[in-house]
Amino acid sequence: MRLEISILALALALSPLACQKAMVAPKPSSTISQSENPRPAPQLLQAQTMGVIQDFLDDPGIMTILAPKQAEIKATFDLPLCACPKGLFRGRNGEENLLGYWVTDIMRARAALLIGRPVKFALTNSGGLRANLPAGQLKVSDMYGVMPFENELVTLEMTGQDVMDAVKQGILHRGSEPSSGVKLVLSGPVDKPEFLITWEDGAAIKPDEPVTVATTDYLYNGGDSIPALKKGRRPFTTGVSMRQMLLDACGDLAKAGKPLEAPALGRYKITPELYNAARDHKLGH
Amino acid sequence: MERRHFLSSLGAAAAASQLPLRGDAGGATSRMTLLHTNDTHSHIEPFGPGNGQASGKGGMARRASMVKQARATIPNVLLLDAGDTFQGTPYFNQYKGKLDFELMSKVGYDASTLGNHDFDNGVDMLLEAMEFAKFPFLNCNFECKGAPALGKRLTPWIIKEFPGFKVGLTGVGVDFKGLVSTENHKGVDWISPEETLKPVIRQLREVEKVDLVVLISHLGYDLHGDAIDDLHIAKLVPGMDVIIGGHSHTFLDQPTKIQQDLGETHIFQVGWGGINLGRMDFALSKGQVRAASGRPVPVSALAAAAG
Repeated sequence: MRLEISILALALALSPLACQKAMVAPKPSSTISQSENPRPAPQLLQAQTMGVIQDFLDDPGIMTILAPKQAEIKATFDLPLCACPKGLFRGRNGEENLLGYWVTDIMRARAALLIGRPVKFALTNSGGLRANLPAGQLKVSDMYGVMPFENELVTLEMTGQDVMDAVKQGILHRGSEPSSGVKLVLSGPVDKPEFLITWEDGAAIKPDEPVTVATTDYLYNGGDSIPALKKGRRPFTTGVSMRQMLLDACGDLAKAGKPLEAPALGRYKITPELYNAARDHKLGH
Repeated sequence: MERRHFLSSLGAAAAASQLPLRGDAGGATSRMTLLHTNDTHSHIEPFGPGNGQASGKGGMARRASMVKQARATIPNVLLLDAGDTFQGTPYFNQYKGKLDFELMSKVGYDASTLGNHDFDNGVDMLLEAMEFAKFPFLNCNFECKGAPALGKRLTPWIIKEFPGFKVGLTGVGVDFKGLVSTENHKGVDWISPEETLKPVIRQLREVEKVDLVVLISHLGYDLHGDAIDDLHIAKLVPGMDVIIGGHSHTFLDQPTKIQQDLGETHIFQVGWGGINLGRMDFALSKGQVRAASGRPVPVSALAAAAG
């Protein structure tokens, strides 16, 4: 069925007869003003069939330019990384963003290594994760697909209240932004939702407790509208690109002979109704 | 290759797929086909396996082949792109968008516009890549007082003349706020397209007297809020026959028709990554769209595989 639909579309694309049924005896020219010349009522046209042979091979002119570039790309970007047996996905229509969870877990761990103290919370933007990780053996190019941007890992000093605000703003402004270190339950009515945000072990977040946070320079500099991050003090741009961080994490898994597996579900619990309202910017504050 | 019989005329396809096709028993004197892409995001090669329904689809070389054949068989064709050519695969990281624009030129794009990701490496590197583009970049809502070189490279509108009729094209981009760092659009300010489009559309319709007004938009189809998107702008600025959209990566099965004060606007967007080539067909008389239809065409090797 899928084949038939596609072939129909291809035929539609290339048929020299396209629109021919609409080409009928000309009328006298009208003026350009559509308001003075209302368009005629719609009318469905007749169907007809014809034979078509179609063969869309790669255009040789394009391939002449592309082939040497492909070879360059493959030499670097086809290098194997690690196994990812089930793939890792961003989730659709309110599903949890397991890829985002994995990335933010890596951010916390790498940032802690870099600064030599625990990093309790990490936040990134779902819009910055540009592809899913397919199931199977991952390649370098897969990580470029996930993180094509030249963003860097940044650490900040924030408060517990800032952390809760950042999570909340991620929901209110962008639908949902993935994080590590906290759990969120969003419930209640659309016009008055309740945000229950705790540390990942369920402990309450104290508004005034100091928290070391990992994020990206893009978010810290105002991208994707999470103003709570701007309250962060002592920003430290680590010099580690987000992509390199992910490549290193995959390299570590490969060295250890371990596959890349999805983090557990349940970090963010948001009902479909509230997710849709957040996506449509209709969630109450 | 196996010979197959397909429903192939526009009327046949429309009827077979329940596509409503507006037609007029008399009046059409010309036909026009718009082929278009949006948000190709450096997907120069087809999507590899493991990418769901996108697997095996896309790729510049195959897109070029489809466009070439379309141009050989359809009389009046324009090939357009709605921005965000950059960012998404190692090709962008390696070649900084130059290869994308070089290949688009080779494919024969007639015009494009700029998306937010086209600023990802800053204005100077965008300009370097634009050196490889042999087509105009249409935009009427970026003010480039602080980036005059980019200002010179942007064109507010163009006219494409065909035997017996003219097509007017313009372009708009999305607000940089929250999408592009201030450093990366330094010298370029975003102005509401509602304000800047109105005089352009008036110029195209009343002075240039084009037969079809086309907006290439990187505003997004439906931003689910107050921000100006394609659904809003069609009503805010009457007089546009077509909006070729991008930014929101929206897969539409057919153009959305919006009634506005001066007629209808047909809005279309075909996903992202070059998975689909959009096609819109118009039957025109002087200054009027007599019939219109549209479909996303998968950029797929299926037809070749059938052989």
